[in-house]
Amino acid sequence: MPFREKSAWLMLICLGLVSVAYAALVATMSNAVGQLVPPLIPLLVVFTVALVVLATGSHIVIAVLAPRDAVAPTDERDRAVSARAGTWSGYVFAAGVALALGLYLIVRNGDLLFYCVFGSWVLAQLSEYAFEIAFYRRGI
Amino acid sequence: MSKAPPITNRVRELREARGLTQTDLGDAIGVTRHTIIAIEQGRYSPSLESAFRIARLFGLGLEDVFGWEEPVRSSRAGKR
Repeated sequence: MPFREKSAWLMLICLGLVSVAYAALVATMSNAVGQLVPPLIPLLVVFTVALVVLATGSHIVIAVLAPRDAVAPTDERDRAVSARAGTWSGYVFAAGVALALGLYLIVRNGDLLFYCVFGSWVLAQLSEYAFEIAFYRRGI
Repeated sequence: MSKAPPITNRVRELREARGLTQTDLGDAIGVTRHTIIAIEQGRYSPSLESAFRIARLFGLGLEDVFGWEEPVRSSRAGKR
């Protein structure tokens, strides 16, 4: 398995775990106060740091296991996979943002708009990793 | 999503005949071993530049290494 495919798997898992944990915490806090809690910077910082630690640690492990692959520069296939996955995930992000803006026009809730756009961003990133994995495995 | 490209190749056969490893071939043309594996398995069609590099490395022409396989049409379409 190419290093970049392993990396995509790890990022998909790490970002997926952190995002689910963040969404669960926001949902729990919102249920407790009976309304959607506004985005909290300290909470975002904690989850960002957690993601960085998880991603860095897991990448160190795969780099130690396959040092030659880890230092190899990207080649034409890596660039093609990355470009196509980026294009497709861009559509995911655009669709999410369009839905978020549409929802804002109906609900007029800025906090909800933030979460919807933030969620679209995360979903787009997750889909980019998933597309990369698919293109590496099924061909491009 | 992605479907297999209609480009066939004899890279594996030619590489093995010359006693090269996938890593050797990848290093020679500037791609990773994994890309050579993908080319040999038909999961990736190399760029024109890499295709020429591979053909030249084997001392052959491009069409001696790579071929074009016409996509199989459905029997219904074929009868028309």
